[in-house]
Amino acid sequence: MKRRDDEWVSLLVVTGATLLVAFGLIALVGSNLMVAASSFLRGIFGSSYAMSEVLVRATPLMLAALGVSIGFKTGFTNLGAEGQLYMGAIAITATALVFPGLPPIVMIPLVILVGFAAGGAWALIPGFLKARFSISEVIMTIMLNYVAINLVGILVRTSLKDPAYPYPMSPILPESANFMQMLPPTRIHAGLVMALLMVIAVHLLVFRSRLGFEMRAVGLNGRACLCSGIQVNRATILSAIAGGGLAGLAGVSEIAGLHHRLIEGISPGFGYVAIIVALLGKNHPVGIVFASIGIAALQIGSMAMQRTAGVPTSIASIVMGALILFLVIRDSRQSIAILEGV
Amino acid sequence: MPVLEMKDICKSFFGTYANRDVCLEVREGEIHALLGENGAGKTTLMNILYGMYQKDAGSITIDGHEIVFKSPKDAIARHIGMVHQHFTLVPTLTVQQNITLGLRDSGYPFSRERARCEHIDRLSDSYGLKTHSRTLVKKLSVGEMQRVEILKLLYRKAKILILDEPTAVLTPQESDHLFAMFKQLKAEGCSIIVITHHIQEVLDHCDRVTVLRDGCSISTVETKGIDAKQLSTMMIGRELVPVARERQNHHMDAPVLELVDFGFKRNGGKVGSVNLSLKQSEILGIAGVDGNGQKELLETLMGLRHHEKGKVVCCQQDISNASTAERRLAGIGYISDDRHRDSLVLDMGIAENLLLRPAQSTTTTQGRMVNKQCMLEQATRVVKEFSIKSHGLQEPMRFLSGGNQQKLVLAREFIGSPKVIIAFQPTRGLDIGATEFVHNQLLAMRSAGCATLLVSTNLEEILLLSDRIAVIHEGSIMATIENKAVDITRIGLLMAGVKTEGAAR
Repeated sequence: MKRRDDEWVSLLVVTGATLLVAFGLIALVGSNLMVAASSFLRGIFGSSYAMSEVLVRATPLMLAALGVSIGFKTGFTNLGAEGQLYMGAIAITATALVFPGLPPIVMIPLVILVGFAAGGAWALIPGFLKARFSISEVIMTIMLNYVAINLVGILVRTSLKDPAYPYPMSPILPESANFMQMLPPTRIHAGLVMALLMVIAVHLLVFRSRLGFEMRAVGLNGRACLCSGIQVNRATILSAIAGGGLAGLAGVSEIAGLHHRLIEGISPGFGYVAIIVALLGKNHPVGIVFASIGIAALQIGSMAMQRTAGVPTSIASIVMGALILFLVIRDSRQSIAILEGV
Repeated sequence: MPVLEMKDICKSFFGTYANRDVCLEVREGEIHALLGENGAGKTTLMNILYGMYQKDAGSITIDGHEIVFKSPKDAIARHIGMVHQHFTLVPTLTVQQNITLGLRDSGYPFSRERARCEHIDRLSDSYGLKTHSRTLVKKLSVGEMQRVEILKLLYRKAKILILDEPTAVLTPQESDHLFAMFKQLKAEGCSIIVITHHIQEVLDHCDRVTVLRDGCSISTVETKGIDAKQLSTMMIGRELVPVARERQNHHMDAPVLELVDFGFKRNGGKVGSVNLSLKQSEILGIAGVDGNGQKELLETLMGLRHHEKGKVVCCQQDISNASTAERRLAGIGYISDDRHRDSLVLDMGIAENLLLRPAQSTTTTQGRMVNKQCMLEQATRVVKEFSIKSHGLQEPMRFLSGGNQQKLVLAREFIGSPKVIIAFQPTRGLDIGATEFVHNQLLAMRSAGCATLLVSTNLEEILLLSDRIAVIHEGSIMATIENKAVDITRIGLLMAGVKTEGAAR
């Protein structure tokens, strides 16, 4: 019981410290605290539309963070969700533009599949190199982000460019490739349903399946798995593919649900924020649902704060960074406490 | 007057007492043994003395002054040093760098490496340690690493030396050498506390002994005038029943496991080669000094290292180039000498650790999913059969004692009745009770028809369990002899690489 209480106390301390940082920064830019706070909260809870925007933003975060968490569970430090997301976005755009005549019943499963495959393939590169040659996946995944992002830049100026406009963007995709708008006039789309289904799928994979057991075991002690005759390389590669695929789905969902065309910058760093979401959610699918909604709310709220109180949105990023820092400190304190037997 | 007095020390973890009113008194210039089974609280007590843990109650007096250590730093300042069971050396640094790590010498920030090296070499020579200060630590054997750890303490001018299970990793000769060194230190006025669970060691080399059981100090006695039986009764609270090995009738079957010109690469590039064959219901013991290729041999045999040359045949099946999984599926079970590294996922529970085997050989998977019910039933059965003590099937292995962890490893390897068991130091770091249990389990598997390759540096263990004994030296088998009225001196010589007449058979 005592340890439970400690946990709540430490969470309160972390929340307090984070708020302190936020208020300090707001005061620093010379805004009125009350105005800023109320516009922040109204930006999130002010209307049903505001709340729906939080969910719209949480959708890609959830998908990408699920992908990141699978990698983390297997000891595959996947920092390349951003690039994998863009590969998924490229895949859906190319597929929908090449086969514009397909009916939705064929088109939607096809683009989901192709998006998953593209993200998965992108993560397979570092996955294979890690499994086969033990090359660090950390650097490779980060570098592949740049490749993917700039590949989008090339494509929207060349083969995927809309000839009708002078801007670097693809034509509007055929309507058959659009996700259903669930609650118009809000922008919530079927991508959210897909994300929630994936939460269940990932939970089953990681905690119920044999493969998931092997992945977790490999992440915790790869050497013991090797000695036990578990195929470590297979687990690593499959987790890379699954993780990359989920991040690819985030790209599919953004295109099919919101933008309906490929443009540069469809992701304002979702792939990087997803790493934070996965950490906050402790790599647990259910934790990731809450973490992604929380982080999305933080971002949406800060945008409202910028509009009405003139507080720059970069404060949201700083607060996010500070929050992670505090949580890491808290966790390390806890593990020290366990080691010391306090 | 005692140099060190610990009085009524209490320490509890998560509400369970690890130490309860423990008293320890160490005199100047003595070798004092701290005897007890694993989990008796020996290491906890020493960690309190060394400042790693804070005591809940009690007092520590050194040279008549009561002291409080907030961290090992304070303890070192008071000339107390400790060598942990798991060494704390940096493999990529040299011996000298490891010893002086964290110290400032007079010329700081300019290092006077040559002077330090000379100092260390002189120090190691004076104790006959034969350690060169410029060697990289990763190139050293376990025994040599231990010497470096001890040198570290001597360099810091420790007067009270604590050693946690120092002989667990040593050969009999190395152990004798170690205790000879302790005698020299003793003569120079140092006090040495040796944590151990080997009774013979205590009787042979120590002056006094404090016995701990279940976190309490039972008594402190002079080793003169006490015998092994009395000590073991104090230590485990009952009398020990020796393991009985009945003779088995060997069928003239074809061998279950056969190694033909089996080559393996040893650390440092040398290649070892052996011929061995195992029959059903037979325990073949491989005796040898640690670091003579045992680890490389077994890891190559398990498919963990690259297969060099020769043939491995298990039950008429050539598995020379098979993967680890295929070898296990062919019926080989493997008990590693390092269960934390090779056998267990310490952050998973008992139930999940039992699943750590090739997917094809588990009964707990249905299709691609793990059958949770089945998994828990299996775990419950194993916990009961092997009497594993834990706080539940999901409790991380990390929190189980070494003996209970090893029991789980055995249980898992015995699932599906393997045809061959490869046991590498299966009782390493275990207390008497757990060792007894492991021995009995190995003999039970032998009765059930399993062939066992037992590799151990503990000669007593080999003599106790084996039907035949092979001696390994520098990666090759010196001789294989029946375990009947064996001449121990001859085995000792073979271990040292000396072939006597008629040894090759």
